Amino acid sequence: MNLTQQLVNGLVLGHAYALIAIGWTVLLGVARLVNFGHGQMYMLGAFVTWYSVSRLGLPYVVAVPVAMLAGVAIGYVMQRVMLQLTLRQDLVSIMIVTLGFGYVLHGAAGLVFGSTGQILETPLSVIDIYWGDLWFTWQDVAIIIVAILFFALLKFVIERTGIGRTARMVAEDPALALLAGIDVKKVYLGVFAFEGAAVALAAAMVAPRTPILTSMGFDEVIVTFVVVVLGGIGSITGSYLAGLALGLFTAFFGALVSPAYTTAAAFAVLIAVLVLRPGGFAAAPGSR
Amino acid sequence: MQPALRLGLIIGSAVLGLFLPFLLGGTPAIYSAAVLIAIFAVMAYGLDTIVSDLGEVSLAHTVFFAIGAYATALLSTGLGIGPLATLAGTIVAALLAAGVLGLVTLRLREFVFSLVTYAVAVVAITVAANWSFLGGSDGLRGIPAFELFGYEAQGDARLWPVAYALLLVTLYLMRSFRRSRLGLAAIMVHLNPRLATMSGIDPQKTRLQVFLFSAPITASAGWLYAYQRAYVSADLLETYFLILMLTAVVLIGRRVLLGPLIGVAIVQIQEKFFSFGGYVDKIILGSVLILVLAYLPGGLVGLFQALREAGRRVRERDEPVIPAHTQTECTRKAGP
Repeated sequence: MNLTQQLVNGLVLGHAYALIAIGWTVLLGVARLVNFGHGQMYMLGAFVTWYSVSRLGLPYVVAVPVAMLAGVAIGYVMQRVMLQLTLRQDLVSIMIVTLGFGYVLHGAAGLVFGSTGQILETPLSVIDIYWGDLWFTWQDVAIIIVAILFFALLKFVIERTGIGRTARMVAEDPALALLAGIDVKKVYLGVFAFEGAAVALAAAMVAPRTPILTSMGFDEVIVTFVVVVLGGIGSITGSYLAGLALGLFTAFFGALVSPAYTTAAAFAVLIAVLVLRPGGFAAAPGSR
Repeated sequence: MQPALRLGLIIGSAVLGLFLPFLLGGTPAIYSAAVLIAIFAVMAYGLDTIVSDLGEVSLAHTVFFAIGAYATALLSTGLGIGPLATLAGTIVAALLAAGVLGLVTLRLREFVFSLVTYAVAVVAITVAANWSFLGGSDGLRGIPAFELFGYEAQGDARLWPVAYALLLVTLYLMRSFRRSRLGLAAIMVHLNPRLATMSGIDPQKTRLQVFLFSAPITASAGWLYAYQRAYVSADLLETYFLILMLTAVVLIGRRVLLGPLIGVAIVQIQEKFFSFGGYVDKIILGSVLILVLAYLPGGLVGLFQALREAGRRVRERDEPVIPAHTQTECTRKAGP
């Protein structure tokens, strides 16, 4: 086994994981919301990208924003339907509703795209780079660059701008924010639309690495859980580092032990973190 | 109602239920649907205790369902033992799994609890599909027909009395649970944890006990499902079963004894007799779940009560106003 190659794989996977999880991180950290349909939204983002590129003949750079727009629409509709539950902070019902949305998306995607697997090819994913005895594609490079840019931009927006301040205030105390004249509903809708866009971006970037199926999305959910928990709930920098750590862990676990059980191993990490560091959940809402 | 009359009514409707598939035509399709409704209802009752009584959402109940089915398949094909022994094995396996999961998640609440249980369910799929001991992606085949005391249940019509008996036992257990100390403690922990602690109830112990009560019920549904299908595979862990359970639990209303049964029956009848194809059925089932939770938090029972309340208000508006104290007296007289 080539250690350096696994290191490269791990870095790429790590940035991919961080990107997949960022929507959830913001959802949870900024709005105290959860989305169990996250994996199916990832699946749909991948298929919208694939459809735009291979059926509509759009260039990849156009297909990515198209997928993100679809994500925004789905996120908005989801939050619109469960707005009353959100305002009541009924997390138990929100979880089940988002799970139901994931199921509906799965059925709808099967209806539209069929059940056969597809390959999402982008201009970047077909060019291999050989560097010494290392191998990767331009798509991998793009994943790393996009992830870093996206995280930097997000950190800036949340910490330094008025939008970020408003969102953090709503997370901290929705009632007080309402009193201060902030349209809480708009913030919740916006955060969910952002979650949709972020996961669609991740799908458009990461899905070309593997064949895509309408039944996929479960591994992505586990990855997201681990990243969010490991990073300390809602922390943007924490999520980035957690994604990276999980990526490296997965790459080496897959190479050294068994590629079939990487999801199970990631879950074992999740349990270990929960048992060893239950305080990770105590992170204050809106904290960074 | 007189207790004797009440008992007679219950026994009467229980006997009527046994002959219901026959009365509805007795075709193989009807018996098949009836057996599946009974099995899936039992599966949903296990989750019902967690969602309705304990107020948490376990997304790992498909795992208990699969544990029951896999334990039955392994024991009946490997050791060649009969249904009673496989049922015992199922219950032991479910208790072990629930004990481990319950202890790990003891301190977790709300969405973190659900997150971990969901992760358990997703990981269980990969394990079941890859582990050769469990047959890998092929699953386990060759489960013998259900045979107990010389009664061989080959086919759904013969299996129906067994499934119906399992359903009745489950209904009895659920009713007893809700009247038991544990059931009352669960509700108290759910609605007012502080009061529960002050009354000497240990919330964590209660949670664990309810978990241990709930898992074997769902697993016993898996036990009978293994005999019904004659093979088991990783598709037992599909989200379908989870969504079906959740929908059945919330559709009619929480803590309504027959709620999950009626919920499962509605979904199964739609899928078996009024199906629009697999994908559309998925969209329908998911949408029902979403709409009930988002717009009918009390389920159909809650909707019915709200409508009745609205009707009463409309009537009251037309009638002359009765002074408040006489009104209370009237209701007191009308009450039991």
